[in-house]
Amino acid sequence: MAGVRERALAWLYHRPTAKVWSLLSPGILWLLLFFLVPLLIMFAYSLMPRGTYGGVEAGFTLEHYRRFFEKIYLAILSRTFFVSLLCTTICLLLGYPVAYVIARSGKWKSLLMFLVVLPFWTSFLVRTFAMIFLMRDTGLINSVLLKLGLISHPIAILYTPFAVMTGLVYGFLPFMILPIYASLEKLDLSLLEAAEVLGARPVARFWRVTLPLSLPGLVAGCLLVFIPALGSFLTSDLLGGAKEMMIGNLVQNQFASARNWPFGSAASFIVMALVLLAVVTYLRVKDRAADGGR
Amino acid sequence: MGSRLPKWLIALTALVYFFLHLPIFVLVAFSFNASKFSVEWTSFTFQWYRRLLERGDILRGLRASLIVGAISTVVSTLLGTLIALAVGRHRFRGRTLMEGLLYVPVVTPEIVVGISLLILFVLIGFPLGLGTIVVAHVAFSISFVVIVVLARLEGMDRTLEEAAMILGADEITTFWRITVPQLLPGIMAGALLAFTMSFDDYVITSFVSGPGSTTLPMVVYSMVRKNIEPSINAISTIILVLTTLLLYLSERLTRERPLPGTRA
Amino acid sequence: MRSVDERIARREFVHRATAMGVGLGTIGSLLTACRREGPEDEHEPLKPLGPMEKELAIYSWSDYIAPTTIPNFEKEFGVSVTYDTYESNEEMLAKLQSGAQGYDIICPSGYAIPVLVALGLVARVNRAYISDWGNIAPLFINPVFDPDNAHTVPWQWGNTGIAYRKDKLPITPDSWSIFHDARFRGKMTQMDDGRDVIGSWLRYGGHSLNSIDPHDLAQAKAEAITAKGNLKSYISAPVKAQLISGDVLVAQLYNGDTAQARAEQPNLDYCIPKEGCTLWADSLAIPRSARHKRAAHEYMNYILRPRVGADISNETGFGTPNQAALPLISHPVPYPTKEELARLEYQRDLGKATAEWDQVWTEIKSA
Repeated sequence: MAGVRERALAWLYHRPTAKVWSLLSPGILWLLLFFLVPLLIMFAYSLMPRGTYGGVEAGFTLEHYRRFFEKIYLAILSRTFFVSLLCTTICLLLGYPVAYVIARSGKWKSLLMFLVVLPFWTSFLVRTFAMIFLMRDTGLINSVLLKLGLISHPIAILYTPFAVMTGLVYGFLPFMILPIYASLEKLDLSLLEAAEVLGARPVARFWRVTLPLSLPGLVAGCLLVFIPALGSFLTSDLLGGAKEMMIGNLVQNQFASARNWPFGSAASFIVMALVLLAVVTYLRVKDRAADGGR
Repeated sequence: MGSRLPKWLIALTALVYFFLHLPIFVLVAFSFNASKFSVEWTSFTFQWYRRLLERGDILRGLRASLIVGAISTVVSTLLGTLIALAVGRHRFRGRTLMEGLLYVPVVTPEIVVGISLLILFVLIGFPLGLGTIVVAHVAFSISFVVIVVLARLEGMDRTLEEAAMILGADEITTFWRITVPQLLPGIMAGALLAFTMSFDDYVITSFVSGPGSTTLPMVVYSMVRKNIEPSINAISTIILVLTTLLLYLSERLTRERPLPGTRA
Repeated sequence: MRSVDERIARREFVHRATAMGVGLGTIGSLLTACRREGPEDEHEPLKPLGPMEKELAIYSWSDYIAPTTIPNFEKEFGVSVTYDTYESNEEMLAKLQSGAQGYDIICPSGYAIPVLVALGLVARVNRAYISDWGNIAPLFINPVFDPDNAHTVPWQWGNTGIAYRKDKLPITPDSWSIFHDARFRGKMTQMDDGRDVIGSWLRYGGHSLNSIDPHDLAQAKAEAITAKGNLKSYISAPVKAQLISGDVLVAQLYNGDTAQARAEQPNLDYCIPKEGCTLWADSLAIPRSARHKRAAHEYMNYILRPRVGADISNETGFGTPNQAALPLISHPVPYPTKEELARLEYQRDLGKATAEWDQVWTEIKSA
């Protein structure tokens, strides 16, 4: 047994590439087979004429990509980007302090982290209907405000952009808190103490020590909120009254009711390309900065 | 430690927790409410809990969701952590491309994932059922795990690992005794996200499921056309209570036996 | 339509390509996608089914059945039933279309049936096994969506009109024009479904709710956008809770849902607008890939028994197509009168025009 172990270790030691690939290959193979291959199929779909009853017909066309650049779809795209960006900002402003407190809470750490995800172990729909109950004209929030005499008429909360944003922030907050927590948790307190001893004020300590050290988590959190928010569709329907469309609704409709699979795929690929371009550019810049710093 | 947190920070955190849990209180309250449509409080009842005994579909859905959630969380956390170690610790050709690739599952709209995977499964003759749901859930969770674990890994102090090696520990011992405990909060966060996404996924699951593999979210969505019965609130309440209880017990157990590598 | 031989050859190729591995499999999938099997050969005589199978897999809506329906069937026929659910016709359609197998009974709405037939996804019903056929009301014999009932047995039916709170409205709505009435601004909703919203405004303009005439659609779009300003939201069945609470006073809704909500709010009433509205029927069909066809037929016949049909309608609040069951239902939904029938219209599949309709819906939402 020990012999095998030593031989394996020696083998890995002399072949660093082999080591990297033995770590990578199971996950990457899984992703290639069950994510990229299916996506390639969908990419092929996006280049074919649509079938009358869904699916596609044989042929080749760029029509679906061209169509996406019509004004109406570009307007939907830009609104979606704006909403996702705002959602990410709010999640960051709320999530960072929470992650910071969790990371500093000693023995309560795992309990507090767990309480962040616990609400999501219920059903999305039931949770959303509970929010509707809170927000509607005769709902709990309005009743309480009326009873307290703070308002004389119910205020419109449900089916407003505010309600949609609240729902989105609610749903994506854990995606912001968890990565920031994961990177803050390792933060060496002695660094902060050193900064304090050296006379740095709390604000300076935060900007010069804490924030830079938690940057990887912060960026990961922003990406994990911004990107899925681009594809969200149910929250804007249920809490926004379905009176406006996001890209997620558009894509969903193409598959679900319009039976235009290729257009749905094309719209997805355009958004995906935009996002991936941004992510890869960011990663390049980050790597160059890291290499330069060494 | 921890005593020097400013008051406003603690207040803000409390507010966020209140925000996250307020709808859950409502959800729990309605599981005890007689009204079938969860409109307003009418009267106290246990009937939705009793009703669960008659609703075989809900219990079967819960069972399917738990099986899928458990297996897919373990697999995706394992595979994701390995990828994160490779990407975060090693420089190799195509690394940036690979890292970019990891974001593809995060960007892809769910319905596209669902339909395309279904087409693949049908094509390779993979019978639809719990197995295909697990495969799909692992496929969309891996990236989330990698991204969270990487965030932890980046800039993690390597001096402990180096010290262990100098003191004569081999690579595998160092990995298990030093690296893994240091990474643990990241791995835990990744696993929590993976389970949470798996447990609440509807769109992708509905496409790759087969006969006899309806998960809990599928049961709930299918009720929308008529009415989501408060027995769903009841089952959610039971899940919440049980998990909190489990967490409490595991906390007690781990506190008595601190994990290696954690600082006092 | 392709010849049977060519179809077989193609299928053979796909199987081989699959066997060769994933790389070739991708090509195979594109072929699968392009393949249109076409309708089943209607002239081929139906073969007798084999003996009763031990299993039956139903793929349908949840809560759209009586609690006793399946247990009693299992007991009587010695069959073990699995019941899986979907949320919309389109979801079920996309799934079967992509090649998902293993389901023996599905429950499509009328407009989805011609699509299933055109794609060759459903089998013909062998009438020899449906001994209770005579229980079906004449309204559901030879329906537009399935001529001669070749592929379906009707399950439940209803219509999509206007539900309203009679205690809080100074008028009694009888027309889609209620949604143009600014007095009730912010207290009204229409369904979150392009077919229902555009359909209602087509009827309002005096057109068929299946019209694909660009002029009719443009007019309906303008009406819908005017109404949108008065709407609280586009919301389908979940609006019931807000009708009960009084947040919403007027809602486009199914008659069955109104009946369910009335159990908690007696002041709810329902009307079929004078311009007309959707008549719909959901039916049972057997996917062509079904492995338990005999059990599926027995199930279809079983639900036509008066007691079974009555139990289902008592539970759902919708109408039963089973006229023998009517006397056993506590609040039967009466069949439409001749005058009403003239105002009700079945949704038909829009074929190629589905995309134009979707464009109109997107424009309404973006307005």
